[in-house]
Formats: sequence, structure tokens, C-alpha cells
Amino acid sequence: MKKFLALVLAAMMLLSATSAMALTIGFSQVGQESDWRTANTDSLLAMAEKEGWDMVYDDAQQKQENQVKALRNFITQGVDYILFTGVVTTGWEEVLKEVNEAEVPLILIDRMPDCMEQIDYVGAFGGDFVEEGRRMARWTVNYFNTTEDVNVVILEGTTGAAAATDRTAGINEVFANHPNFKVIASQTGNFTRAEGQAVMESFLKAHADIDVLLAENDDMALGAIDAIKAAGKVPGKDIIIVGCDSVKAAFDAIVAGEMNATIECNPLYGDAVAELIKKLEAGEEGTRTLLHPVEGVFCMDGGIAYDEAGELLSVKAADVIADRKY
Amino acid sequence: MKSKESFLKNKLTWAIIAELLILLVAGILRPEFFSLEINPTTGMLYGSLVDIINRSAEITIIAMGMTLVIALGGTDISVGALVAVAGAFALKFLRWDVTLYPTPGDYTIYPFIIVIAVPLIICTLMGLFNGLLIGKLKLQPIIATLILMVAGRGIAQIATNGKQFTTGYTPYRFIGQGSFLGLPFPIIITIVVCAAMMIFVRKTAFGTFVESVGVNPSASRVTGLKSSRIIIIVYTLTGLLSGIAGLIYSSRIASCDSNNAGVNYEMDAILAVVLGGTSMTGGKFSMTGTIIGSLIIRTITTLVYYFGITSESIMAFKAAIILVVIVIQSEPVRKKLATMQARKQKVGELRG
Repeated sequence: MKKFLALVLAAMMLLSATSAMALTIGFSQVGQESDWRTANTDSLLAMAEKEGWDMVYDDAQQKQENQVKALRNFITQGVDYILFTGVVTTGWEEVLKEVNEAEVPLILIDRMPDCMEQIDYVGAFGGDFVEEGRRMARWTVNYFNTTEDVNVVILEGTTGAAAATDRTAGINEVFANHPNFKVIASQTGNFTRAEGQAVMESFLKAHADIDVLLAENDDMALGAIDAIKAAGKVPGKDIIIVGCDSVKAAFDAIVAGEMNATIECNPLYGDAVAELIKKLEAGEEGTRTLLHPVEGVFCMDGGIAYDEAGELLSVKAADVIADRKY
Repeated sequence: MKSKESFLKNKLTWAIIAELLILLVAGILRPEFFSLEINPTTGMLYGSLVDIINRSAEITIIAMGMTLVIALGGTDISVGALVAVAGAFALKFLRWDVTLYPTPGDYTIYPFIIVIAVPLIICTLMGLFNGLLIGKLKLQPIIATLILMVAGRGIAQIATNGKQFTTGYTPYRFIGQGSFLGLPFPIIITIVVCAAMMIFVRKTAFGTFVESVGVNPSASRVTGLKSSRIIIIVYTLTGLLSGIAGLIYSSRIASCDSNNAGVNYEMDAILAVVLGGTSMTGGKFSMTGTIIGSLIIRTITTLVYYFGITSESIMAFKAAIILVVIVIQSEPVRKKLATMQARKQKVGELRG
């Protein structure tokens, strides 16, 4: 046994010696929770493979203590960079300070810890949820392009989650300038299909005249489609449906004509992170501003503006569905 | 007079009164809450009352088993995870490998009978596992079922590689979204399951055995009852019922959602049983009460959605109503109300 262990150790030392030139990157991910998260992980793993870097990947299985352990392991292993997505936003101060003290450059991904002001990091990549909310509303306004009253219902995300509160804020911000868009009902569907369906079912009974549904993620929109069918209405025609995230199933629904649009929340951070790491390696300084990935809007026919200036136009979903990775 | 007093002392009576009161308030605020019509496009009975019964199906079915578990003095906190397990395995056999068959459509890879049977068998075996730990190894029920509460979701994740599979297979979608005799199909399943369970426990001696073991397991053993066998049967049955609920849940959304399927169902099922008048200490139980309890829970949820109560206050709103229902049902309050009623009657008689 001892001999075997020694052999393994020797092999490992040999391996680390040969790859001394390559960068080693520690990646502490929250775990596998959704297709979005899987795409996010895959994108970053693919980045390391493409660049020839060693990726030490740690799946925390939704547990903070696993992540703390992983981060400390990264420090002792002496990795060159740490990529980090926290399962929760609080309680990271101590371990991230340790990362700082060990002078390992830290790159924050997707979910920003509350203590990000107090710690050092070289880059932060995250979605712009407020902008996504604004885009949902802007697309709707431009799609209807009317001064008549439009009745809106909203399926909110999990109460208290940043993705939910920020998207709601973005939606309301845009509708404030378009008073003919009236939010007649707004309720949490917990980001799940089942609850999105149940809530929509009740919305349809409480309000006979719903024109458009804004769902703060695609799953809730997909659940709501079945509720709309059960009410004898035609999803995508009688009620316009706008989702968020741009998962594959939403593309299928749009191409099938049962959903109208989905606002992208891009999990593919790989290229942007690779670019940053290369810059840092070349001696450039890191940045403390939150970087957003490039995101689009996809809809049934395309060509509907979703930014303030009216310059960015949505893409026809059927044209790009074949290239979607998640 | 005695019958009236005991009627008012009965927990079931108060559960029904509570449900009617909640509906009454809803009816006063918005009379159209009670509107029922045949939907011309789908041919289904359509209205909020139908939604309440339809959406309570999963909890009602699980709570049938939970009633017996609680009557034995136990709890089963693995039922929510088993809901996820059933959905995951059903979708696994419908889709098998999503990289090979990437688009969901009206097809199934394995025969429909396997899609339905395998998840139910797996859940039944998981229930049997719970039963063996509790009945044979005498583990505390909450500890024993905690194992599958945690592991169940993991197994569900493994079955589908942590991915959410979706399906368009019509027969499978029928379970949760179809209709029979103008009623949503989950309602039909619930009626059949409840009737079967009630016949099983009341027309055979099984219900009495359960109550006897729940009150005093050692005394039951002395009288010749094999309490461990009763325990194993009850937990196995609960596993099977959770599996049925899981198929309904996943069929409704035509996908498996191992992270969210059946989350907190164990709590809702226990609450339904307690609201229905079965005591957590074990012994006497009421299946009818459990059905009412489950309806109360769903009625509150439907009201929240229907009346546009803000997302932030849902929890507080639900808790407030449940608190009132439970206080009304509590022993001292019921006794007080019953004696007040009896006294009033006596005064009336004396005067008359």
C-alpha cells in the first residue's frame, strides 16, 4: 500500500513538474442545480481545456461548507487563479480574506458575495438582472406599439432572490413610462414550472382580460403555457408570453409558436474569463467593475427593439435554435 | 343532546367548518370565485373550486399514507424526495438519453407500462426500506426517513444526470393534464386512491391494527399483533402513494424537476393530517379529515393567487389562517365551545 502511495505521489509530482508552465485554476462551483448552471460550468471547463490550463473543479453540491473547504484547498495547492460562485451571498468574508492573504487572484462569477466591497478581486462577471427586466418590458412595449390599455401579469421569481427583485424592478421601471401597460397581477412562481402553472391558472380565473404574461424565468413561462391551454386560450396569440434566461426548452416553445420571446441570461462566461486571465498574465491590472456577458433577446419573428435607443433588435429564435448550447 | 355535544367536540366537524368559513370569506369578497362552467374548448369543468381539488391531488394522495404513519405515532419526511424520484425515473424511461434523442416530442423510448411501473416499484421499495429501518431495526421514524429525504433527491439527480428532461408524450401528459368525465384526471386518481385506502383500512381489520399499534405497540404485540409487520406495510404503502403523487406532479409539467418536485410536501402532508384531526401522538385517525385538511391547505394557496396577495406576505397570510384553524381545533377550545353550546341549549330548554 505504502509503495503504491509513493508511486502515486511520485507520478503526481512528475505531472505537476511537466505542467509547471501551464496555469492552474481552481473553480468552486455551487453544484448542479439547473441547465443554466450546467451550461455555466461546461463553458468554464471548456475554456480551460481550450487554453491548455489545468482546471481544479470543485462541485460544492449546494453546500457552503464544501465551498469553504474547496477554497482553502485551492490555497494550499497553490493555484494561480480562483474562480468562485457562492451558493449564498453571506458568510464568505473570512475565507475570501484568506484567499487575499495568500495573494491568489480571485475572479467572482455569477453570484456576488455581500462582502465584495471588503475583499480584493481581479474581475467579476455577472448578469445584469435589472437590465433583463427592462428588456422584458421594452420588448413588450415595442411589440404591442399601442396607446391602448394592455393588461400585464407577472410571474415573479423566488421572493428575495436578486434575480427576482431586480428583474421586477427593471420591468416596473420601464412600465412607469408607459402607463397604458397595466400590471393587473404579480405573484411569485418560485422560478419553477409547477408553481408558474398553478399561479397562472388562478390569474386566468381572477382576470378575464390578460393580454401579456411576463415570466421572470423560462420555466415558469413553460408551466404557464399549459395553464393557458387548459383555460381554452391559445398561448402566444391570445396571451403574449415573454420569458427570461433563454433555455433550450423556451426556444422549442417559441419555434412551436406557443411562446413569444425570451430574454437571454447568458451563462457562457468562458471566453470573457479567458480574455481577462490572458490580460492579467500579460501584466495588466484587474478591474473592480462588474462585467456583464453579451446577451440578446430571441423571439418568434425577430426584429423588435429591446434597448432604450431602439438600436438592438431581437433575433428570430428559429434561426439560432440549432446553435444553442443549453 | 349528547350527540350534538360530541358533534361539536369532533375535530372533523371543525375542519369542515374551517374550510367552509375560508370559502365563505372568498365568496363574499369575489362571488365569481365559485363560478363553474364547462370550458367550450377543452370540455373540462372549469373554475377555482376545480383548481383547488385538482391541485390538492398530490398532497391528498400522500397524506392518505401519512395518516396511517402518524396514527402509528411516526412521521415520514421522505415523501417529498420520493415525489422527485418518481418523476425522474418516469422521464428517464420516456427520454432515456437526451443526447441521443435531443428534442422532446410525442414519443417514448420504453413502453408506457415501464414508464409508469418502474417509478412506482422504486418508490414502493424505498417505502419498504423506510419500513424495515423502523419496523425491524426500530430506528426513530424521523431519523430513518431522513436518509431517503436526503438521498432520494440525489438518486433522482443521478437518474437524469442532474438535467431537467421534458416530454411531449401524450399518454404521459394525460395523467396530470387530461380529463375524464369532464374532470381533471388527477381528481379521478385521487378519488380512486382515497376510496381504495378507505376500504382497505375500514372494511378490513387493518385500520384497527394500526390504531392499536399506535396507541400501545407492546400491548398490541402481547395480544398477538405483529407490530413490525404493520409498520412495514404502512411505510411501504406511503412510498407507493408518494410515487403516484410524483407521477402526477411530473406529468402536470411534462418534465422532471428533481430540485423542486415535492419540496416541503412532507410538511404539507403532515399538516393535512393534523388539520384533519389525527393526533401526532398516534392512535385514532380520520381519513376523511385528512382529505378536508389537504383541501384547506390548497384553498388557502389558491386564495393567495386569486386575490393577488403580494409575494412577500404569502407566508404570513398562510400561517395566520392555519393558526386560527389549529386553535379552533385544539382540545380546550373545542371543549369550551361545546359546553357553551350545551349550556345555551339547557337554558333554552328551561325557559321553553
